[in-house]
Amino acid sequence: MYRYDEFDRDFVAGRVAQFRDQVERRLKGEISEDAFKPLRLMNGVYLQLHAYMLRIAIPYGTLSSRQLRMLAHIARKYDRGYGHFTTRQNIQFNWPKLADVPDILADLASVEMHSIQTSGNCIRNVTADHFAGAAADEVADPRPYAEILRQWSSIHPEFSFLPRKFKIAITAAENDRAAIQTHDIGLHLKKNAAGEIGFGVYVGGGQGRTPMVAKLIRDFLPEKHLLSYITAIMRVYNLHGRRDNKFKARIKILVHETGVEELTRQIDAEWEHLKDTNLTLPEADVAAITAYFAPPELKDRAEGWGQLAAWKKADPDFARWVQQNVRPHRHPDYGMVTISLKPIGGIPGDASDAQMDAVADLADEFALGEIRVTHEQNLVLPHVALADLEPLYRGLVAHGLATANSGLITDIIACPGLDYCALANARSIPVAQEISTRFGAPERQAEIGELKIKISGCINACGHHHVGHIGILGVEKKGGELYQITLGGSADEHTSIGEIVGRGFEPERITDAIETIVDTYLAIRTSPDEIFLDCYRRVGAEPFRSALYGAAQAA
Amino acid sequence: MTSKVLTANRLIDGISVWMGANGEWVESLRDAFIARHDEAVAALESAGKQAQADNRVVDAVVIDVEETATGIRPLRLRERIRADGPTIDYLSIRAQNGANRAA
Amino acid sequence: MTFLWNASGPIENDPWTDADGDRPILSLEAALQSNAATIGVQIEPADDVRRLEPILDRVALVAVNFPAFNDGRAFSHATLLRQRLGYRGEIRGVGAVLLDQVPLMLRVGIDSVAVTHEPTIRRLKEQRLPGIALHYQPSVIPTTDGEGYSWRRRAV
Repeated sequence: MYRYDEFDRDFVAGRVAQFRDQVERRLKGEISEDAFKPLRLMNGVYLQLHAYMLRIAIPYGTLSSRQLRMLAHIARKYDRGYGHFTTRQNIQFNWPKLADVPDILADLASVEMHSIQTSGNCIRNVTADHFAGAAADEVADPRPYAEILRQWSSIHPEFSFLPRKFKIAITAAENDRAAIQTHDIGLHLKKNAAGEIGFGVYVGGGQGRTPMVAKLIRDFLPEKHLLSYITAIMRVYNLHGRRDNKFKARIKILVHETGVEELTRQIDAEWEHLKDTNLTLPEADVAAITAYFAPPELKDRAEGWGQLAAWKKADPDFARWVQQNVRPHRHPDYGMVTISLKPIGGIPGDASDAQMDAVADLADEFALGEIRVTHEQNLVLPHVALADLEPLYRGLVAHGLATANSGLITDIIACPGLDYCALANARSIPVAQEISTRFGAPERQAEIGELKIKISGCINACGHHHVGHIGILGVEKKGGELYQITLGGSADEHTSIGEIVGRGFEPERITDAIETIVDTYLAIRTSPDEIFLDCYRRVGAEPFRSALYGAAQAA
Repeated sequence: MTSKVLTANRLIDGISVWMGANGEWVESLRDAFIARHDEAVAALESAGKQAQADNRVVDAVVIDVEETATGIRPLRLRERIRADGPTIDYLSIRAQNGANRAA
Repeated sequence: MTFLWNASGPIENDPWTDADGDRPILSLEAALQSNAATIGVQIEPADDVRRLEPILDRVALVAVNFPAFNDGRAFSHATLLRQRLGYRGEIRGVGAVLLDQVPLMLRVGIDSVAVTHEPTIRRLKEQRLPGIALHYQPSVIPTTDGEGYSWRRRAV
């Protein structure tokens, strides 16, 4: 993974000093809260219902064991002993004191971490496929380009006060595991006929109040033009994105209102001036950064095949965990392991300090010290020998991290919701907990198969409900909570926005409603191999509407 | 008139606070001063503005409450959650050693 | 009281006046109509700064307005003035100019600022700006190459 050089270290140290000064000035009243707010947001500091929240960047979801141990330390020293992994591959702490944040940032800097631009109207964490560097279907590792974009976008003087937040994601396989079409800019790394690397460029995806799927505006952008082309997009957005209405300020609205052809013409016209300037990426720079992401030396461990078969035979729980949470690696003797942070009835995406330390130790012992954070709020150990799966599993079991539910109905994504978040209208975590408990039995989960439920506590859609196979949106109605259900959303290469099925459900009825949907699916699917999403795309909303609301009428 | 209290978040640590009877910020809703008349509400609003100007709190706002047998109850769910803390047992995760075998 | 400042310190004897004076700063439309040999023009966020091109050789001051401190369009205006139009005259940040945005303004080629916010004025007088000398982007102000990669710079 990338390692800071002196320039990076000095930069982050400068940023910590800068924020320390800004906090001091705020506490003395030399900056108003209005002027301070964007400054603290650009350092990841939110004010929530009960306390501040600090969002720490985990660039493209990649962590070393040393860094994960520091996060555990921060949870212990400055917070209440746990953290929450997010749908943008970052981590959040819910109880830091503003006065402590500069010290937290200094601790983070000591392990090459920061919270720069994890909020604010600027370019946010560039996210990537959590299986990057290990997946067999990958054209090339996308993370060097994510790292280049991370550096280039850090305190960019022209783009620090955009109309609104800006999110970039990059994938490098046909199967999009980074949800690029739901981002402001999505990049699809590919190779042309000559074997050269370039990017399909998508613009204008986003969720929130007006969910939209990104449009492909350039099929193949050669690698060396990455920064110049993105600069052109950002400049057009900075100048023409709406600033009159916070809910119409994302680039997706600019695409929609200007028209994709005309906006592409404006971007290309600006790019003409930038194309061969000092923003061109020299091959040597790309090669130097790519070298940090060189695939690890993986020894052949062919003995793992036989061992794995024997272990699976001896322990059905282990077998189920392998079946569900271990995916094939590029190297046949290895697997990519998903560590579920969705224990049955638990809080999705949370991990205690002890669990973080445990994962760091297990990563060191079995996974070359490398951990990933997924946008589905789980962790991944991308390089684990099959021969090490059983001892790894025992280690995970000991810390409540071995739930065999990756991609299943209890692998729920939920935002913090009204339990924590000042923007929320309804709670999301208790809904996730209840659904998880209702469907927790392993046999039931296996019977249902792949089903992605995503829950948001407000229209900002941080739980990505629009792209859940089943999406749940909490709203406020008559002083109480109400949950709207959408069906058929998807965040992969066939991105689709879920369809609202009808009127919402009260908290005490939402889990039954989900069960009705699941039972309907089980009754009408062509076979167990037809997953929920495919079934929905085949039959549409009608059977589910009838089941929920009666055949006579829907909403 | 609906009863009201003044609430805010403390600048230095973000903790939710309410204005108490002595003009001090308290960390528990049950110790909050209840305004039952227009003059008292105006005084609360003015205290909130002053505290913000003094850089002690942010987001000071007067909220509606009802007075029940068991204490002060905010009318909005959001404010009830602010008063009582998250409705979930978020610390239970710290006791999760071996508690959840592979499901 | 408006305080004028550039990297050398407070600006004395600024020649630019308000609308009634003899060196007014004009709106873009008025500037384009003006026959004056020396023009000062104020660019609003929604203006297209490239429209200055035909008169650029007579423009001595471009004021880029930040009506709200977080309206970042003026950063692009200044960038285009320097990099696209090759403008070498003075660019002045006006409007809601606050201390923490001044380092960013300098980096996009804004040379001077007009400030009314007292704490900002104090820090500018002390020459204590909250910027970071290392940049991850090429710059219009004098910098040395930052080590390692082509996009890095160090402010001199």
